[in-house]
Amino acid sequence: MSYRNKEFFYFADPNFITPMDNPNIKPIRELSKILLEVGSLLMASGANSARIRTTIMRIAEGFGYNAELLITHRALMLTIFDDESDYYQSSLKRTSPHGANFRMVSGISRMSWHVVEENWTFEQIWNEINRLKSLPHFPRIIILATVALAGASFCRLFGGGVVEMLVAYVATFCGLFVRQEAVKKGFNAYLCIFFASFTSCLIAGSSVKFQLGTTPEHAFATSVLYLIPGIPLINSLSDLLDGNIMNGLVRGMNGLMIAFAIALGMLCAILIYNF
Amino acid sequence: MEWISFLEKWIWLGFAAVGFAVLFNVPIRTLWVIFLLGALGGSLKFLTMKLGGGIILGSFFGAMLVGFLSIYAAHFRHAPPFVFAIPSVIPMVPGAFAYRMMLGIIRLTGDVDPSVYETLMHDTVNNGLKALFVLMALSLGVSAPMLLFRRESAKEIKVIKIEELIKK
Repeated sequence: MSYRNKEFFYFADPNFITPMDNPNIKPIRELSKILLEVGSLLMASGANSARIRTTIMRIAEGFGYNAELLITHRALMLTIFDDESDYYQSSLKRTSPHGANFRMVSGISRMSWHVVEENWTFEQIWNEINRLKSLPHFPRIIILATVALAGASFCRLFGGGVVEMLVAYVATFCGLFVRQEAVKKGFNAYLCIFFASFTSCLIAGSSVKFQLGTTPEHAFATSVLYLIPGIPLINSLSDLLDGNIMNGLVRGMNGLMIAFAIALGMLCAILIYNF
Repeated sequence: MEWISFLEKWIWLGFAAVGFAVLFNVPIRTLWVIFLLGALGGSLKFLTMKLGGGIILGSFFGAMLVGFLSIYAAHFRHAPPFVFAIPSVIPMVPGAFAYRMMLGIIRLTGDVDPSVYETLMHDTVNNGLKALFVLMALSLGVSAPMLLFRRESAKEIKVIKIEELIKK
């Protein structure tokens, strides 16, 4: 009898239950898929590590399973185990960096409470995830206008006048537009920030060159503030505080790289205008 | 006169927070709460700095106020507290210090005159340390309520409702 036939008899044995027949497996697989999807969405939307962990644990406990999670910046690893059938399911998922989307974070947090309190089924969860994914962003012109208004506000807070505020408004508007276009074209994330910072500084720098207003330096200094890596830096410190030292360091380094890209853009503009 | 300028700052602080909130795509129902939180936190920061507290202490108090108010806001508007806290705190993030430090580091790599080098080094280190400590103060302030109440979720923190206070 060849090896192949032996194997055939082994599986044909009626007393032998293959792992595939175990009725507890299917829900565990489905749950691990859901949990990884939720985790990677949270990571991409700018949640800190503690929030990802609590949300995933909450959903897993809602279904009565134990879960262990390894969170890194670019991948999530999850193990679910069922004590009754002694079955472990481990899976890994890559997370993609997208940029902050708090509508997603808020929606997932609400969903996790629905799972615990109203015993949602897998299908309801998938529907909710798809609904959250299809939620609209703010219209582009509104994003550009409000962020530019924030830039003008910063300029006012630093002590600029009306002319400086106007310069900061235009510089922020154009810089953010360039950044959005660069992101759409698929440039490297840091390069996008460099382009945006360079554009903003070129526009704000011209007011310093031609001495528009009384203190054009304020407009120049505040024209790039919309690019500051606020979420990476705050998440970094809150991860460090929470004991997730590795994630904290990685996020902090990411924040420093963004600050470096901003400074490089500024430096190029300064060299061109020769201040 | 001083109060008018304070009120004006209040409005600009609020707009700065709302600008970031729109960039982070927050739910629309939270926008005006973020305006209020950002304005209140920023005002407390400026008040502390005016009383001689320095930027680090000021940022800490401002962020702590935002942190505590965000717990109230989370119960009241049904979203996790950090959705309110982060956009409100972002205008206080020491972005200017961070990129000035980077600009200083890039300049230090060039051939700098020894007399200029000293002031440049001083400015760079000073900006970098200020950025680091302000950030630490901000994240400590924002997470202060969670650290003090020792709960994993803001939903488990009991909030005294205003109506209940009035009934008493």
